[in-house]
Amino acid sequence: MNAQIASVIRLELMKTFFSRRGLWVYLLAFAPALLYLIHAIDVTRDHEHRQALAAAHPVATEALRSIKEGATAEQLFGAAGEPYSSRTIPQGRRARAGGFRNLAIYQYTDGDSDFTFVVVDGQVERINEQDRCNLQKDSAIFATVFQFFYLRLAVFFGCAGIFMNLIRGEMLDKSLHFYLLAPMRREVLLGGKYLAGLIAAVTIFVTGTALQIAALSWHFDAGAVSEYLRGPGWSHIAAYLGVTALACAGYGSIFLLAGLLFRNPILPAAFVLLWESINLFLPAALKKISIIFYLQSLSPVVASPDRGLSLFQRLLISSAEPPRAWVAITGLLIVTAGVLVFSGFRSRKLEINYGTE
Amino acid sequence: MTNRVVFDNVSRFYGEVLGVNRVTLSIPPGITSLVGPNGSGKTTLMNLMTGLVQPTRGEIGVLGVRPNDPARLCHLVGYATQFDSFPKGLTGYEFVYSFLRLFGYPHERCAKQAKAAIARVRMSEAAHRKVAGYSKGMRQRVKLAQAIAHDPPVLVLDEPLNGLDPLVRNETIALFREMAHEGRHVIVSSHVLHEVDQISDQVILLSNGYVVAEGQIQSVRGEIQDQPMQVWIRCNRPGALASRLFEMDHVVEARLAADGAGLLVKTRDAGRFYRTLNHIALDGIDLEGVTPVDDNVNAVYGYLIGEESR
Repeated sequence: MNAQIASVIRLELMKTFFSRRGLWVYLLAFAPALLYLIHAIDVTRDHEHRQALAAAHPVATEALRSIKEGATAEQLFGAAGEPYSSRTIPQGRRARAGGFRNLAIYQYTDGDSDFTFVVVDGQVERINEQDRCNLQKDSAIFATVFQFFYLRLAVFFGCAGIFMNLIRGEMLDKSLHFYLLAPMRREVLLGGKYLAGLIAAVTIFVTGTALQIAALSWHFDAGAVSEYLRGPGWSHIAAYLGVTALACAGYGSIFLLAGLLFRNPILPAAFVLLWESINLFLPAALKKISIIFYLQSLSPVVASPDRGLSLFQRLLISSAEPPRAWVAITGLLIVTAGVLVFSGFRSRKLEINYGTE
Repeated sequence: MTNRVVFDNVSRFYGEVLGVNRVTLSIPPGITSLVGPNGSGKTTLMNLMTGLVQPTRGEIGVLGVRPNDPARLCHLVGYATQFDSFPKGLTGYEFVYSFLRLFGYPHERCAKQAKAAIARVRMSEAAHRKVAGYSKGMRQRVKLAQAIAHDPPVLVLDEPLNGLDPLVRNETIALFREMAHEGRHVIVSSHVLHEVDQISDQVILLSNGYVVAEGQIQSVRGEIQDQPMQVWIRCNRPGALASRLFEMDHVVEARLAADGAGLLVKTRDAGRFYRTLNHIALDGIDLEGVTPVDDNVNAVYGYLIGEESR
């Protein structure tokens, strides 16, 4: 039986990894990493530009931070020297529009952060310190993108593409009969196909997650990265990779069943997507009947779901106590196993009827 | 273990649509042809005996094994379907080898059997080219190689001669005969009736999901009483022969050939006719040739099902 499963896996992996029809799965998996890489290149170039400005207009960070709102322009220049950029608004025009007489904007940089001083009538009225990206901020952004784009859309649709293709794709290609004519139990065939899909999905999407993390941390200096890794870094990375693999296992089993049961699996996929998407607004008990609930509870950094929602939408959100990690992992694996067992039973009734496809 | 493929009152419906109905058959070893127009139930019958579909009613046994036991059945059956589709990206050898591996055999055995099967259909030279680049005839042959690779005692072939050029067609028919002589069941579907005549030991005629006749073609023809048997006779004195034949009550028609070198006779009793013909030959009429005209599948099919369905 093991040799048969291995043979099914070998055939399916060739098909899944090298099929032209599956190129979009790679795009879904690796597009976020590419975006993070572009972001990292942009941040690096910006940092180099700031370093060059700081070299031309040297100023200490402490000197810039010593300036408080209400300080005079003379005090600013005395402490920080000449800004690398200054802009004044002509007196008459601003006076008519806003009622003040004189406005100037001075920009300094210490090489890492930008300091902008808004001076009105010779007095510092507002100070804006824009620091370079830090790991904490970026990891919060990563958590949001991971939970609300990568898991819910990229892994979801990627698994739909990979796992639905295992049975339904073969039906459409009229090649499923080659498998059904092999002397193996249908459950074994299905198990082999699921394992092949899982290996492919985990390889593609876990690699995608790893590349995102690598691209995100690429522009930070080695010291900051090793400090992060000494702290929660490794456990975060392991959690993200593990959650991605669990997502592939959970969604994979559901889409395998959908491919087995439905002639047009787009409809059940749309239903599952809707169910997973409205998870935020479901009552606590229903929340737990979803894959995304457990996946989010396993994510190491909490992503705020209500950012960008209206007050009315926020009122609709219900909260459910997130389960412990071992409960979430066990629960997901039990759900996956249950769906696979049911698929196994259904596969016994699988028939070749290409004419109606 | 019985050595027959048995259908016992088998019906299969696709929802409201009839696939086959109340089929009872017992197919012995040798070449058996399933004959019928599109939609007559040939492919359904083949899918039933290979376990790709299950019967709505009735029971099937393939050498004593029921088709709902794929682990045992698929060792016994090789099936080349009519579908011209293959898993993508494989060479001919990889195709045969990979699906042989699904049988759980070790690499060495699969490699050896795959090569042997490919050689048997004369595809060794093209074995390592992609199937996607094969001609229709080559794809048919590599499909046949895949079906015979595990050396099954029952071979089920849906329209196996489609797309083959005359030379390869003859080679393939010879291969079927060879396999039949080895004691295997070679069950072939075809709508090319003269081919069926050439290759079959027995035929199963299907129409609209029903088996309308089965057996050796001559015996099937003999059972069709309402259509007189036609025999073409070439002789030196066709007029004299015609007058002798009209003395017999079972001869219903004798028509002289336009060239005057023979006549077409219709008789209701072929056995008596041939016995009488032997006596006539002794009476001085020189018979140059006696050829049955309508004991072939083409004619039988026309009598049983009607010209319009062919």
